[in-house]
Amino acid sequence: MGRKKIKSVSYAKYGYIFVIPFVLAFLTFTAYPIFFTAIIGFTDLKGLGKTDFKFLPNIFQNFEQIIKTPSFQKSLVNTVIIWTINFIPQILLALLLTAWFTNQRQKIKGQGAFKVLFYMPNIITAATVAILFNVLFGYPMGPINDLFKLLGLSTEPINFLLDKWTARGVISFIQFWMWYGQTMIVLIAGVLGINPSLFEAAEIDGATSRQVFFYITLPSLRTIMLFTLVTSLIGGMQMFDIPRLFLNGGPDNSTLTVSLFIYNQAFSGSYLYNRAAAASMILFIIIAVLSGILFYILRDKDAAKMKKEMRKLRKAQKAAAREVAA
Amino acid sequence: MSQAKALKYEPIAGRTITLVIKYTVCIILAILSIMPFWIMIMNATRNTYEIQQNSIALLPSKYLMYNFKVFEGKSFNPLVGFKNSLIIAALTTIVNIYFNSLTAYALVVYTWRLRQAFFTFIMAILMLPAQVSSIGFYQFMYRIGWTNSFLPLILPAIAGPGVVFFMRQYLLGALSIDIVNSARIDGAGEFYTFNRIVLPIMKPAMATQAIFTFVGSWNNLFMPLILLTDKTKYTMPIMVSLLRGDIYRTEFGAVYLGLTLTVLPLFIVYFTLSKYIIAGVALGSMKE
Amino acid sequence: MKRILALVLSLAMLFTLAIGITGCGKDEGQPPASGDTTTPSQQQPADKPADTSTPAPSVSDDPNVKVLNLWSFTDEVPKMVKRYAEFYKEKTGQDFPFEIKETIIATTEGAYQPALDQALAGGGADAPDIYCAEAAFVLKYTQGDAAHYAAAYKDLGIDVDKLLAEAEIAQYTVDIGTRPSDGKLVGLGYQATGGAAIYRRSIAKDVWGTDDPAVIKTKIGPGWDKFFEAAEELKQKGYAIVSGDGDMWQVVRGAAEKGWVIDGKLYIDPAREAFLDYAKKLYDNGYMNDTTDWSDSWFADMKDAGNKKVFLFFGPAWLINYVMAGNSGGEKPGEGTYGDWAICEPPVGFFWGGTWVLANKDTKIPKTVGEIIQWITLDSSDTGLQYYWANGTLFGPGGTKDTVASGAVMKRSDGTLDFLGGQNMFDVFVPAGEFASGKAMTQYDETINSLFRNQVGEYKYGRKTKEQAIADFKQNVADNLDIIVE
Repeated sequence: MGRKKIKSVSYAKYGYIFVIPFVLAFLTFTAYPIFFTAIIGFTDLKGLGKTDFKFLPNIFQNFEQIIKTPSFQKSLVNTVIIWTINFIPQILLALLLTAWFTNQRQKIKGQGAFKVLFYMPNIITAATVAILFNVLFGYPMGPINDLFKLLGLSTEPINFLLDKWTARGVISFIQFWMWYGQTMIVLIAGVLGINPSLFEAAEIDGATSRQVFFYITLPSLRTIMLFTLVTSLIGGMQMFDIPRLFLNGGPDNSTLTVSLFIYNQAFSGSYLYNRAAAASMILFIIIAVLSGILFYILRDKDAAKMKKEMRKLRKAQKAAAREVAA
Repeated sequence: MSQAKALKYEPIAGRTITLVIKYTVCIILAILSIMPFWIMIMNATRNTYEIQQNSIALLPSKYLMYNFKVFEGKSFNPLVGFKNSLIIAALTTIVNIYFNSLTAYALVVYTWRLRQAFFTFIMAILMLPAQVSSIGFYQFMYRIGWTNSFLPLILPAIAGPGVVFFMRQYLLGALSIDIVNSARIDGAGEFYTFNRIVLPIMKPAMATQAIFTFVGSWNNLFMPLILLTDKTKYTMPIMVSLLRGDIYRTEFGAVYLGLTLTVLPLFIVYFTLSKYIIAGVALGSMKE
Repeated sequence: MKRILALVLSLAMLFTLAIGITGCGKDEGQPPASGDTTTPSQQQPADKPADTSTPAPSVSDDPNVKVLNLWSFTDEVPKMVKRYAEFYKEKTGQDFPFEIKETIIATTEGAYQPALDQALAGGGADAPDIYCAEAAFVLKYTQGDAAHYAAAYKDLGIDVDKLLAEAEIAQYTVDIGTRPSDGKLVGLGYQATGGAAIYRRSIAKDVWGTDDPAVIKTKIGPGWDKFFEAAEELKQKGYAIVSGDGDMWQVVRGAAEKGWVIDGKLYIDPAREAFLDYAKKLYDNGYMNDTTDWSDSWFADMKDAGNKKVFLFFGPAWLINYVMAGNSGGEKPGEGTYGDWAICEPPVGFFWGGTWVLANKDTKIPKTVGEIIQWITLDSSDTGLQYYWANGTLFGPGGTKDTVASGAVMKRSDGTLDFLGGQNMFDVFVPAGEFASGKAMTQYDETINSLFRNQVGEYKYGRKTKEQAIADFKQNVADNLDIIVE
């Protein structure tokens, strides 16, 4: 026991060395720009080609202004709505497919091909997809309108994209469609890592597929699920390409997401970099809070409990040692 | 033996219905997944006016060669774009996979004081929205004059928190410390151990992440568009965006052809590495 | 070991911070933008100091510079400059003495302007010598925040006053290209994009018994009241007067007296505010097919594939030659709607689109740049670009004809088009160019127009009251732009 401890300590420095590239790259390419952006949020930098800026007398002015801006509030609501509509079906479908494709008892032929096909939407660029969907719902003439007429669902052409909820629904669908394959792959990877003996034990106990899935697979996937949730949350909060290229935030700002709002602040004519920066920081804080909540909910309670016990034990040992020494 | 036991408990009729449902759903999803590609390829064979009349067509038309000729007219050089995109995407992928695996390895194999804190730090970085850094990033690149170079597009990939997480999970499951220890006993240095012994073990995970990274880098339009202004350095997505000139002069057929050409190499890379997707990557407790 | 790590980390931080700070100082040398931190407002022409200077007499090129940097967002101007180089060789027998380095960045991702702005601000050998700006954002470069980068044409040795008069350049393009701070001309468009009403001959005959432009123009205008009367007459016979309200918008937006922003405050010109009602009227009365411009349905209306047959479209020559001709369902008279069109004056004058050419005031080769720009925009002789462009002969015979900024050239050129049933398009476009106005533009137009049209849509479909729509419009402008909204 003691020997092992000494050995691992002497290699510890490699831990630091190996992560140096990561740290350097991060500091240079991510940390500094973010730092810079954060600073700008407190200044009056706006307009084209200006580089000198002054700190505002009321440091938080930009932040206050942004929070009060109706478009920003709307964009928050929209982002949450669209993300929810997108993510819930996405994770459900991905879990379902995962269950199907890792089901040992009922193997689906051509699984490999299906898996490959389901990931494909991720390869295509958002731009192309947004345009295609925009055209699909064309008004007064367009494929979906034609379809509706054919099926007798309507006599007059419907302006689908005019309705807030349809527009949001379509964007959610596009996001869903582009990412469900990838989510599924990550989840399957997680399932494959579960100890097979668990499954065997369950079978011996006579568990049905459903019971196996809910009581063994899901709990073991906890960390992966957390990862998927967090990455999807982040990706969702940052939704930009599709809303911009599909309807540019329309109709009437109902598909305006936070990222699109920030972009507009910076690039729609007034180059309000300071407000864009402030909004970015607010977005970051929101994401951090939400992720923190997720982390807390999905933390490994048993491990946490164990950690607490260990700590108590160590404290008691130290106290005892002191007693002895004293 | 356990198989036989399991079969007893599930009624055959129920099983068949479930199977049918499963196949139907999968086939529908498969068609849904392919549709846009099909439309894109079809449109690459039509000309602007056909597309303007009817954006979606299921059958090809006859303008493929015409659209190729449009390329020449607009000085769209797919070979140059290919080469540049390939260099950037390939290097980005290699850099990304290698250094993040390195970081993940450090988090798993070595015990060091800041390890847990660092891991939490990485998860925190994951939460940073791209918006926050991208404006600052490109302004920074302009200030230090680092435009028209591929490096600012490649080097940031060294720090990729998502990849680190994925690799870490994989290592926790697939790597036994005994391998490392026996290598050390044999007198191997740490770097040697990592490069020669551990990396090969990580192949499936690396392949999966490689696909994700390659696709992301290849399709990336915005940052290259802003940083690369020299014609000889344009990537495929930039060239395709150039095909869209004034709105009334755009040759849409050529645009779709450009998009198709852009996607083609992705298909190749994708199908080459897809056996890893099919075989699957195992993240987690697989040690025995 | 930790110490080493800490050292490395802190060095990294210092390093990056140092770059940031030293980087900050780079732009100090730039002269402050005109108007500085306040947003530039639309000045009334009367306030502009008149430019009565004479052109710089001796302008010469720096002999050490061998590269001409050209920035554009399409390949149109680069191709022109290359052709100029070819003509130069034909004329003088020598190779054009400069290497033409073109940078083309499409405007679609909104990436052209940031890159151009950085290039202009950065200066040095890579800075553009010649750069282009599209109508949507040209004001920024001729009158707004980026105007101080532009060279006055006179400083390039171009005799502006004489050539303007000789070539009879449309006034609106001069207005847009004139910098208010010193009244100098810094940019001109080569293409004329004054708009006309493009109508169907057969429908005109069916409703009014004639397709003569002189008569039709009195039926649909002048003024919108007459236009709506015509709409009613068309409706009685089952026709729609326009495809969508977007068609009308292009005309209305150009017809306002004043721009969207005056002295940094949002101003809604009555002519534009009236559009809310016009759009609603078009919709409620079924005067249109309610299409969105540039959508499939809009194109379909060009060949009668829509709900009702559409009587007219509004647009400049490029709409005819590059959009409608191809979408008319035919390639010669008799096929589809090809040949069944004619043009006449619109109810209100307007212009739509265009590209302006500017020069960098710090260019090291002003003489050559001046000569090229003059050839493109002001040379009204038979060897000037304008003449070739108008007749479609720049790259050889049989190219597409187009309207050009020079009225003099158009008068001499043959603008007859089969598509228009043999009508000479210049007959209408020359006066059209004259009564288009560039006075009501601001550099925020792209965004504000889009925000406005969004609200028009809401009101048109009855989803909001007019007051609500205007209020929301104002709120959106205040949210996204640095404009004071009351």
